[in-house]
Amino acid sequence: MTLLVTMATGAVGAYCRYMVSGAIQARSRSGFPYGTLTVNLSGALLIGLVAGASDLESTLSLAAIGFLGGFTTYSTWMIETIRLGMPQLRLRAVVNLMATLILGIGLTVAGYSLTT
Amino acid sequence: MPSRPSIGRNQPESRRHRLPNPTNLLAVMAGGLVGSALRAGIGALWPATQGDFPVGSLVVNLSGSFLLGWYLVRRESAVTAPWSMPFWAFGLLGSFTTFSAFTMEVTRLLADGKGMAATGYIGASTVGGLIAALLGQRIATVIR
Repeated sequence: MTLLVTMATGAVGAYCRYMVSGAIQARSRSGFPYGTLTVNLSGALLIGLVAGASDLESTLSLAAIGFLGGFTTYSTWMIETIRLGMPQLRLRAVVNLMATLILGIGLTVAGYSLTT
Repeated sequence: MPSRPSIGRNQPESRRHRLPNPTNLLAVMAGGLVGSALRAGIGALWPATQGDFPVGSLVVNLSGSFLLGWYLVRRESAVTAPWSMPFWAFGLLGSFTTFSAFTMEVTRLLADGKGMAATGYIGASTVGGLIAALLGQRIATVIR
């Protein structure tokens, strides 16, 4: 049951990531990966809010965590950072790496603190 | 409030936002289904109890970064089905790896006062993730 919920919500999360990041990326003139940045940062805030709210019903909590697992992505963040920084290291690669990292952790901590 | 894309008006072809076709969406969802199941499976192998070092997520994120690096290089020299990229890259590896679990585990370690473990986890995930993705690209280039 737990696995089924995780799989189903993960699939919906993947679908939403594809749509949201695609729509945002289509508006990025510079090619900076704003699409991935948006899904990862919004997902980071939401997971903090969900994890902090321990009074949430466990199935709902499981569904939300499953959704966010599919909605956010790590591998794309890494590949896009490499693409920005190769063949020569550019500031944009460092910005993509550090902004996602620092803002992501900050948003999760903030969300967690808000609902705990 | 998402604005409706103005298709074909003063926009070059590449900047138009086109609705993805149903095949791609199904491929993304199918990939997401499999990727989530695999992540749950690996999570069960290394269950992360409160405050422990999150080995499961580290394994998932590093191996997923490696595989995406490998896949994207291989795809350049191989004939792939139209659904291949949505299924493997956006669907399966996109949902197999997760950013939200990463930041949540960092937050948990920080909340438990384990600053050193949190720093180590962040370092291992980011430096390790970049190295894994580069290694995947390199291996795909060398071994054909």
